Amino acid sequence: MNKILKNILIGFSAIRSSFTRVFLTSIGLTIGIFTVSIVTAAVSSVDREFAKSIESIGNDKIYVGRMPWSFEFDWWNYRNRPEIKEEQLDYINQYSEYVTQSSMKQNYWTKATYENKASWLQMNGVYPNYNDMMTGTKVVNGRFFSENEWKLQRRVAIIGGSVGEGFFEGEDPIGKKIRLGGVSFEVIGELEKTGSFTPTGSLDQVIIMPTTTFQRILTRWTWNEFVLQIDPNNREKAKDEVRMIMRVARKLKPDEEDNFAVNSADAFTKQFNQMKIAIAGMGLLVTSISLIVSGIGIMNVMFVSVRERTKEIGLRKAMGATNTDILIQFLSEAIAIAIIGGTMGILLIRTTLYFIGSAIANIDINGMGSAIDLQMDLLLTFYTFMVCVFLGLIAGMIPARTAANLNPIDALRHE
Amino acid sequence: MTKSKKEIIGIKSVSKIYNLGDTVVKALDNVSLSINENDYISIMGPSGSGKSTLMNIIGCLDVPTKGTYKFNNEKISEMNDNQLANIRNEKIGFVFQTFNLLPKLNSIQNVEVPLVYSSFARAERSLKAKEALKIVGLEDRMSHKPNELSGGQRQRVAIARALVNKPSIILADEPTGNLDSKSGSEILNFFDSLHKAGNTLIIVTHEDSVAKRAKRRIEIFDGKITLDE
Repeated sequence: MNKILKNILIGFSAIRSSFTRVFLTSIGLTIGIFTVSIVTAAVSSVDREFAKSIESIGNDKIYVGRMPWSFEFDWWNYRNRPEIKEEQLDYINQYSEYVTQSSMKQNYWTKATYENKASWLQMNGVYPNYNDMMTGTKVVNGRFFSENEWKLQRRVAIIGGSVGEGFFEGEDPIGKKIRLGGVSFEVIGELEKTGSFTPTGSLDQVIIMPTTTFQRILTRWTWNEFVLQIDPNNREKAKDEVRMIMRVARKLKPDEEDNFAVNSADAFTKQFNQMKIAIAGMGLLVTSISLIVSGIGIMNVMFVSVRERTKEIGLRKAMGATNTDILIQFLSEAIAIAIIGGTMGILLIRTTLYFIGSAIANIDINGMGSAIDLQMDLLLTFYTFMVCVFLGLIAGMIPARTAANLNPIDALRHE
Repeated sequence: MTKSKKEIIGIKSVSKIYNLGDTVVKALDNVSLSINENDYISIMGPSGSGKSTLMNIIGCLDVPTKGTYKFNNEKISEMNDNQLANIRNEKIGFVFQTFNLLPKLNSIQNVEVPLVYSSFARAERSLKAKEALKIVGLEDRMSHKPNELSGGQRQRVAIARALVNKPSIILADEPTGNLDSKSGSEILNFFDSLHKAGNTLIIVTHEDSVAKRAKRRIEIFDGKITLDE
């Protein structure tokens, strides 16, 4: 054991004497490790965000809209579809067995202003019972609007978790007047901050108001959705049923395609998993390429080192070094190069994450902070370290074996 | 040569044959040689005579094609690489024409090299290396690197390195070949004193003046020993 350690130390000491070369070689691995870490961290934080999003979409909801939640966006087909109308929701409420509660949800982006601050936000026009249907968030400050306020088209607004921070900077938003699309609204409630995304935008970035007010003040042309409460065990049946009711409501002939889409969280999961596999696949490809390239770099520099020190190898062998001694010496040199590269990679990624982190803190009003909150823990650092050792071992094996198998007589004669 | 002394090296009808494609080169042809404790031997011969091959075989860097080689009654000719490395490490001290010091290491570290491959603790290694450097008179050059030393001093570091494991034989290949005559004779005087101290020395050379110092001269020509007196 002691003998192995001594050989490792000899290998390491070679690093010091050719530091520039070692440094340049290990930069390849630094970049490799940087990519591995970014990809791993990205995939794992996307994963985490996704779990949160699914929670906000809710397993017990289905959504009817013009377009499917899909990344394969056939815009030219979908854009001509008729708008989802409120009267169709009446059909659903009347005929559906599975839908226990329902709300309209209208979407519109407009400028919201408070004093000298302005921001583009998503306006949602909903029914009063939407309060009971929200998943992943709830009113934590103030209240939701009432049935009466809805009927009377009152200009009241419930603001998303990030909106208050941006506009009121810690002051209590309740009772404040904000202007939405140029019209003054009273803030009556504030939602809990979630830090997550849904296919229809961030829950923290919304302003919720009665549909009646929405239509009177903001726009008649809207992007409409039905939010339908169901029992998750009957989700597929409920989706089929709602689809049939919608077809009837829209008077579609049997040979006509649906001109609407019934969405639910599981469809999104499927899409998302595909995306995740794509990200991970690309990452793996880039990563393996950069690792292979840096491995070749290390191998190359090791061959140079063996050649340069042929005479030293001969001498060490004459002095009693065994083949194994020489093998360990050169393997440890290769591993040391890999570890130097890996350590620089880890430092680089840590610094980068630190700066990304503080940059994100500044633009957190968009609710992006947690989404790119890349995870970098000790375990990952340990894995990175092991990858380096392994890569050094693989890259150093052939040069080290060449060195170990040198004939001492020829090696000594080498100039 | 007195029979009462213990035999260290026993070479019996050793041949070393190289197959170079069609031609077969007999670098050593049926050589027998016995070397005893405290012998002081010079091996002479022109280049291509086989003296390097003989030297490599004596130094356990190479194994004979035919014949037997016994070192301290151990059969070298049947050993594997690791056993040979072990013998070289413990029993043989090498001195080379070009010194072969490692340029990045200082004198102590250079002398420590053989000890690294035997099982000595760090403190013990450095102690032994310092002792060996004292024997060659370099106690004031211990932390100098080879490029800070003169040729003669470098060769003395190399001799200290050969001595440090208290080997059974010291094998010197043209030890004065790269030195001026003054430092060369210093080194040779030092060899004389090593012999007096009881060491066994084998010096390969082609210089008569060097060979004359030895108590026993061996000449080799065309792979055969032509003189042994």
